[in-house]
Amino acid sequence: MQRIAHTIRDGVGFDVLLIAFALFYLFAFAGLPILYNVILSFQQVDMFSLGSLFHEITGWENYVAVFNDPLASRVFWNTIVFTAASVFFQFSIGFALALYFNQRFPGASWIRGLFLAGWVMPGLVVGVLWNWLLSGDFGVINWVLMSMGFIDEPIFWRSDTDYSLIAVILANVWYGVPFNMILLAVGLAAIPDDLYEAASLDGATTWQKFWTITLPMMRSTIGAVIALGIIFTLQQFDLFAAVTSGGPAGSSMVAQYWSWELSFRQFDFGRGAVIAVMMIVVVLGVAAIYVRSTRQETRL
Amino acid sequence: MTDATATQITVENVDKHYGTFHALKGIDLSIPKGQFVALVGPSGCGKSTLLRTLAGLEGITSGAITIEGENVTGVPPRKRDLAMVFQSYALYPHMNVRDNLTYALRLKGVPKAERAQRAEEVAATIGLENLLDRRPRELSGGQRQRVAMGRAIIRNPKAFLFDEPLSNLDASLRVRMRKEIRALHDRLNATSVYVTHDQIEAMTMADHVVVMRAGIIEQHGAPLDLYERPANRFVAGFIGSPAMNFVDGVIAEDGRHVRLGIRSNSTIAIDRTLEAGREVLVGLRPEHIALGDAQDASAAFTVGAVEPTGAVTYVFSDDEPELIAIADGISTLKRGDTVGFSIDPGLVHLFDPETEIAIP
Repeated sequence: MQRIAHTIRDGVGFDVLLIAFALFYLFAFAGLPILYNVILSFQQVDMFSLGSLFHEITGWENYVAVFNDPLASRVFWNTIVFTAASVFFQFSIGFALALYFNQRFPGASWIRGLFLAGWVMPGLVVGVLWNWLLSGDFGVINWVLMSMGFIDEPIFWRSDTDYSLIAVILANVWYGVPFNMILLAVGLAAIPDDLYEAASLDGATTWQKFWTITLPMMRSTIGAVIALGIIFTLQQFDLFAAVTSGGPAGSSMVAQYWSWELSFRQFDFGRGAVIAVMMIVVVLGVAAIYVRSTRQETRL
Repeated sequence: MTDATATQITVENVDKHYGTFHALKGIDLSIPKGQFVALVGPSGCGKSTLLRTLAGLEGITSGAITIEGENVTGVPPRKRDLAMVFQSYALYPHMNVRDNLTYALRLKGVPKAERAQRAEEVAATIGLENLLDRRPRELSGGQRQRVAMGRAIIRNPKAFLFDEPLSNLDASLRVRMRKEIRALHDRLNATSVYVTHDQIEAMTMADHVVVMRAGIIEQHGAPLDLYERPANRFVAGFIGSPAMNFVDGVIAEDGRHVRLGIRSNSTIAIDRTLEAGREVLVGLRPEHIALGDAQDASAAFTVGAVEPTGAVTYVFSDDEPELIAIADGISTLKRGDTVGFSIDPGLVHLFDPETEIAIP
C-alpha cells in the first residue's frame, strides 16, 4: 500500500507499470491466440466441437494429414514462388523508382507521393482492379499484349492453371512496389550528399558510387525492406480472395489461403491451425533477420 | 616538373546563377603552382560556391576554368584530379580508415599490395598508424580531420581544395591543425585553395588572400598587403581583429590633418595632403591607437568599458561611434577617465564616404 502511494506521489516504479501494461497487452492479444493456435493444431476440432474450449487431443494426426494431402506439395511450391517472385519484383522495381525519384527534378517528390495511392487502397479493391485488367475477354493487358504482337490469342489469366499464380503475383507486385519504394527512398535520403561528392572527387563513376557507397550504406534498410516484404507477402490474403480464390484446381493456392480454406470452408480447424503454426515459424525466422538488420544500421 | 611560377588554376570571368540568385559575378582569379590561396568572406559571399565550381561539384553559368592549362569547364569532378577536404570530412562511414584512405586508388585499379603500402606511408605522415582498422565513428574529431587530409594527399592531386576544414574542431586543436596543414602544404609542394570565414585562419595560413563579398572579389593579395592597404571599407573592416574603427571626419584647413567626428574636439595628422573641408571616412586600427596623457594629445576620448585580457587591455570609448583601442599589458584606465591618443600618420586609413573606396 505504501509502495503504491509512493508510486503515485513520486512516480517511482511508474516505468515498471508501463512495461507491465505493454507486456500484458502483448500476451493477451498476441501470445494467447498464438498459443491457442498451436494447441488447436494438435486437436480434433470441427463444426460440432467448435463451441467447447477443450477438444480431443489427436497428437500429430493433423500434421500427418496436411503433409499427405495431395495439394500439399503444390501449395508449398506455390508459396515459395509467390513469395520469392513478389519480393524480388517489389524490391527491384521499388528500388529503381526510389533511385529515380531521388534525383532532383521538378515534381519528383510530388509524383513519388502519388505512388502511395496504390498502397493505401484496400487489398480487395486492388484485387477487383486487377480482375478487370486481367480479364480474358476484354482485359486491357491482353489487348496490349495482342496489339504489340506478343500473343495471338487472349490469355485467360485467372482461369488458366498455368497463369493463375502469375496473375496474383502481378497484382501483388503492383500493390507492394510503393511501400518498398518509400522505405528505400527514406534510406537513400539518409545518405549524406557529401559522401557522393567526396566519391566524385576520388574518381568514382555513377556506377561505382552505387556499388561502393549506396549499396553498403543501404544494407540495413535493404535487409529490413526484404524481411518486411516476405512477412507482408506471407500475409497477403485479399488478392487471392478477389482474383483466383486459390484456383483453378489449387493452381494458385498458397499456404495462408489454404489455412483459411481448411478452417473456414472445410471447418477443419485443426488442419488449418497446422499450416498457421508452420507459417508462424517461418515468419519468426524472418522477423529475427529484420530485427538484426535494423539493429546493425550503419551509424555515421 | 613545371616551373615554379606556372599557373595551376585560372578562373576567367565566371558567373554562377541559382535561379534568380546571382552567386558569383564575373570572378577572375589565377592561382600559381605551389601557392596557398585562402578564399575568405562572410556567409553567403560565394567563397564555397567558387570552391565547388573549381571542384566541378557545381556548374557555372558562363566563363571558363582551367587547370594546368586545360579547360575543365563542364568536365566532371572525377576527371579533374583535385582532392577536397570537406567541412563535415565526408568520410565513408562503412569503411575503415585504410579503405577510406585508399578508396581513390582502388577506383583507379592500383593493386592491393601497393594500396596497403601507400596507406601505411600516408598514415605515418599524418600520425594515424594505429588507427587504420578503425571505423570513422570510432575516431575523435581531430582524427577524422586527419583521415580526411590523408585521403586527399594519398592521391597526389593537382591541387587541394579545403572547405572550412577546421570549423568543427575546438579552438586549441584548430590552431594546431592550422600549422599542420600549412606544413603539409609546404612539404608536398602542393597548390591549395582554402575556404574559411575566419580571417585569422586566412591571414596565418595563406600566401594569397582573396576577400569576397556578395559574389564578387573585393580585393586579393598577400595577407599583410590587405592589412596595410585595404582597397575599401569592407576589406578594412573584415581583415584585422578587433575590427578597424570607422569615424566620419573632415579634412582640416591645412589639408594635412583630419578632424574626427567624435564628441571631443580631436584632430589627427595624415600622411598626405587633401582638399580642405573634404568629408572622409577615417579608419583607425585598434592596435595602432597609442593612448597617452590627454593634456599633450591633439585627440582624446572618454573611457567607457575596459576589458583586460592579461596580455593586452581593450579600451572602449564612451562615444558614438564607439572607438576601440588596445593598450599593452594591464591598463590602469577606468570608466570616465579622459584619455588622449595619437596615431602614426602613415597608419591612418581614409575612405571616400560615398564609394567607401580607399583614398590614395
